[in-house]
Amino acid sequence: MKTLHKTVDDAPAARRRLGPVLAMIRPIFARYALRLALGFATLVGVDFLQLIIPRLLKTAVDSLAAGSATGKSLAGISGLILAAAVGAALLRFCWRYLIIGFSRLLERDIRNRIYSHVLKMDRSFFEKRTSGDIMAHISNDLQAVQMACGIGLVSAVDALVMSVAAISFMAYINPQLTLLALLPMPFLAVSTLFLTGRLHHRFNIVQEQFSLLTEFVRSTLVSIRLVKAYTMENMQRKVSDRLGKKYVRSNIRVAMIHGLLFPVAALVGNLGMLLVLYYGGRFAIEGRISLGDFVAFITYLYMLVWPMMAIGWVANLTQRGLTSLQRIHELTTSIPRLKDLADSSSPEVIDPWFRLQNLTFSYQSSSRPALQDLTMELRGGIYGITGRTGSGKSTLCQLLARLYPVPDGCLFFGSRDVNTLSLDTVRSRVAYVGQEAILFSDTIAENIAYGKPGATAGEIEAAAQKAAIHNEILDFPKGYGTTVGERGVTLSGGQRQRLALARALITDRSVLIIDDALAALDVETEHQVLRSIVSRQDRNLILIVSQRVKLLSETDRIFILEKGRLQDSGIHGELLARNSLYRTMNEKQARESVGRHVPVGQRPV
Amino acid sequence: MRNFGYDEEGWSGTQKEHRIWQRILGYSASHSPGLLLAVVLSLLVTGATLALPRLMQMGIDDYITATTLGVGERVHGLGVIALIYGILVVVVFLTGFLQIVILERIGQSIMHTIRQDLFSHLLKLDLAFFNKQPVGRLVTRLTNDIQNMHEMFTSVLVTVFNDFLKLAGILVLLFLMNFRLALLLSLFVPAAIAITVVFSRLARQKFRAIRQQLVRLNSFLQESIFGLRVIQLFGRQADNYGRYVSLSQEFVQRTLAQIRLFGTFMPLTELMSSMAIAMIVWYGGGEIIRQELTLGEFVAFLSYMRLFFQPLRELSQKYSIVQSALASAERIFDLLDTTMQIRSPEKPAQPKQIKGSITFANVSFGYNKDEVILRDISLDIAPGETVAVVGSTGAGKSTLINLLVRFYDPLQGRVLLDGIDVREFTLQDLRSNIGVVMQDVFILPDTLLANIVLETGIGREKVMEIIRDTGMEAFVNGLPDGLDTVIGEGSLELSAGEKQLLCFARVLCRDPAVLVLDEATSSIDTASENILEHAVAASFKDRTSLVIAHRLSTIRRADRIIVMDGGRIKEQGTHGELMALQGLYYNLVQLDLYQDGNGPAGP
Repeated sequence: MKTLHKTVDDAPAARRRLGPVLAMIRPIFARYALRLALGFATLVGVDFLQLIIPRLLKTAVDSLAAGSATGKSLAGISGLILAAAVGAALLRFCWRYLIIGFSRLLERDIRNRIYSHVLKMDRSFFEKRTSGDIMAHISNDLQAVQMACGIGLVSAVDALVMSVAAISFMAYINPQLTLLALLPMPFLAVSTLFLTGRLHHRFNIVQEQFSLLTEFVRSTLVSIRLVKAYTMENMQRKVSDRLGKKYVRSNIRVAMIHGLLFPVAALVGNLGMLLVLYYGGRFAIEGRISLGDFVAFITYLYMLVWPMMAIGWVANLTQRGLTSLQRIHELTTSIPRLKDLADSSSPEVIDPWFRLQNLTFSYQSSSRPALQDLTMELRGGIYGITGRTGSGKSTLCQLLARLYPVPDGCLFFGSRDVNTLSLDTVRSRVAYVGQEAILFSDTIAENIAYGKPGATAGEIEAAAQKAAIHNEILDFPKGYGTTVGERGVTLSGGQRQRLALARALITDRSVLIIDDALAALDVETEHQVLRSIVSRQDRNLILIVSQRVKLLSETDRIFILEKGRLQDSGIHGELLARNSLYRTMNEKQARESVGRHVPVGQRPV
Repeated sequence: MRNFGYDEEGWSGTQKEHRIWQRILGYSASHSPGLLLAVVLSLLVTGATLALPRLMQMGIDDYITATTLGVGERVHGLGVIALIYGILVVVVFLTGFLQIVILERIGQSIMHTIRQDLFSHLLKLDLAFFNKQPVGRLVTRLTNDIQNMHEMFTSVLVTVFNDFLKLAGILVLLFLMNFRLALLLSLFVPAAIAITVVFSRLARQKFRAIRQQLVRLNSFLQESIFGLRVIQLFGRQADNYGRYVSLSQEFVQRTLAQIRLFGTFMPLTELMSSMAIAMIVWYGGGEIIRQELTLGEFVAFLSYMRLFFQPLRELSQKYSIVQSALASAERIFDLLDTTMQIRSPEKPAQPKQIKGSITFANVSFGYNKDEVILRDISLDIAPGETVAVVGSTGAGKSTLINLLVRFYDPLQGRVLLDGIDVREFTLQDLRSNIGVVMQDVFILPDTLLANIVLETGIGREKVMEIIRDTGMEAFVNGLPDGLDTVIGEGSLELSAGEKQLLCFARVLCRDPAVLVLDEATSSIDTASENILEHAVAASFKDRTSLVIAHRLSTIRRADRIIVMDGGRIKEQGTHGELMALQGLYYNLVQLDLYQDGNGPAGP
């Protein structure tokens, strides 16, 4: 329903700003101008040949009625009909390839444009819409535009040429009869326009119910273990039944419209035929038209049924295509809040230090600042950051990695305000490992080498070793060549996190930020991994977000965040002595860790 | 977008074609009155449609060209014909509409039945089955495959009948009017069928190629959106763009190939139709000269030809719909035929009141044959006793629970509840007598209250009472709308701790004889932690409890602690006893005490 309302709301806006929207596809039309011109020429050619056939038929019937026909003359006429038909078939191939092909090329160009734009978007872009939304829009909108520019355009031109020609031929035979025969036609166009509009609306509802149903069964099956454990099978069955029945009902509502569409066309066509039969017949009886005229007239009338239906259909396609194009335009012109400098006057050498000066930051979606008045100095060394959930730890890390925009004069890298540096200057010096380990469906080796294109096998293995994942990789069926994701192995959360870490480690960037990225590992392994990183000291600045006191105790300095503010900072001992929050964390963790994934029998040294 | 993974695997031959048809017809049987009505309507539509050109012919021959009659008489006769024509037009319209709606209703109801059957069946299948099947594929069965079959029901089954009726009717009429001409024209039928078969085979290949590429294109896009941050952080935009462009280029190539194929075949029916017209003019015209055919019949021939090619034009489309629907039906029936190992017995035990004693008698188990997880476990838990299980990952702790609630059956030995083998209970009875609190919880997108009550029908007052008694008020009151807060994806997301609290509330409302608790390993916010301790204490009271424990507070509360290692029970006893033993448990605790702030620890 949401999208439906949006479409309605968008309509006036679409009309207002049609210029810039169309400007988006104009160059594509210009590039393929010759192809299009040829395509339409062949299309008109087909129409012309199609119109010739009734003329030939008329000649045949008239000569038969007059008794002047001979076997030879009939053979001649049928030969001509055959030739016209073969010509039409050839030309039909041409327009289909030229024009429908064009619409596909246009789709490709827009598709690539969208992708290249998406690559530039920052995180705030995704605060407003989910990736599923974007995906759905891209595929549906692209299809709508492609349809409008392909078959829509063809049908419009075809309908126009055919109806003008058929009507003129009919009028040439008898204007009065033509008017009579056309009487029901406008009704067809109007009802098609109305019905396809309703159809689209109701079809959207069906689509929505279909996704609800899909999402429901998916969520049930994903959690089948829980459903069984909590004996929720009957509930789930009932819900599925309810959703399914709703889906059935809305499908029937679609069918009611769909079921009208073609019967209405047949009705109108047949009504026209009825009028022609009665009045045309009378005209023929009265000798005002010949029998051949009468037959040709009927043939032309048949030819009109499709263009009349097409008018309504094309109107709908165009409207939908424009709305979609409008949305695509909006997407591809949305400006990232995180602006990059066009001319990056970036210094070659820059100290990999961060300084925060009264930094305050809010997410677009929230009125409460996520970080407030933060002043910190992060020079070389190892820093720990801790705090409760929602205290702003991750936000801080993401700002440092330049994933969100910051106000001027608040965040400095080296000695420069980050807003005077290109995004790449900072990002290429920061290796950031987030909480969510995102991998690509590629081989393990490729995933690790993602941080350093062209890395050697040795480098990849070294990184994997540092991230303590090397041995587990070797256990996979194809080792480093194993594919990750749906088509390959399913990795555990801990394995994913360590792969993401290896990907960051291989970059050898001077700043390393680990944003609670190893939480899925048990304490021992996490400790071991971090120890190996820390002990190498080949980085200038390491920032570790963690809840685990044991880990924090080994850093040079610990920052405690509370509701976006810096609550305290100091070394482990100091904080233990004076900070109650830190002390509570420490006591709690010492008390609670019995039995938590600790390898049995491994005695401390 | 949801059907990325949808690839048409085609016919695998696991189901005989006639068996598939039998089963499909079996589903249709309950709708036979409706189907009968559709057939009757279809006869009406076909009859009326075919009568129209015939009327036209009668108008021409009997009145328009009947120069022997007076003009008034001719016009009057024409009027009568026009009236009948008008009535038939309306009949065609009404019956056509009615037929479509009836068919849609039947098709949809059948699909709904199949979907419900399949969904219920899936819910009953063993967990082991789900470990092997990607969820996406199962969802596709329930959605796209069923949708595919629906296409066949609505747009093919009866319309094919319609079309054959129409073709046959036209041929009969043509033969009646002129035998030789009709014979000539009927040559087009095998030609059209041959073209159709070749075309749909080729088209299917092209479509499959396009769909495969679209799946690649879309998954790449989805991955890029999902991993955009990674792409940007590692500065790989240009590289990704290049890969996307080449994927999208390949997609265009494949669509163009499809357009070429369609461009070649689509005009063929039109061409045949024109050839038929040429044939009528040439041969039919000759027949008129030879006085074998009237002009009216000649015109009728032309009109029937148009009707004749209409179904032939759609034949290829329908052929591929049937092919794809049968492939879908086969996949659906295959899934419906999947049998389960774990099922309720024929004659289940009917326990009156479960007291809650649990026995593991010489139980051995492994998820795979060559990987033993539990070795000869024997354990007795008395009614009301609380047993905590500790041990490292892979020791077999959660497997104990899996066997108790019968997610799996032991390879050897028996699991008993109140002295009765768990395999003798119905699954429903067994699982509803065992309250399970897992690390994760299944949340319906609904209010907290609805999520606690589920199907039990407990009143709000009762829920409030339980929540008050177990100290969970703080949790409920902490939510924006208390019990009426809507939770789940897209609404309020609960934290790990809150999820466990919800789970406790569910279990306490059901008051089962046995409680199984898999404590959360992940860190839990302090607020929930404190409430949880109360909830745990309340739940253990008067109830047999089996707990995989991670928190010392929980372990201390247990009557007995079981220490597992390598699939065996290594030690058991109270905290004090085990500490005195100075074995595994002692080491576990020592390890943690050592790390309790006495400086850095190393492996």
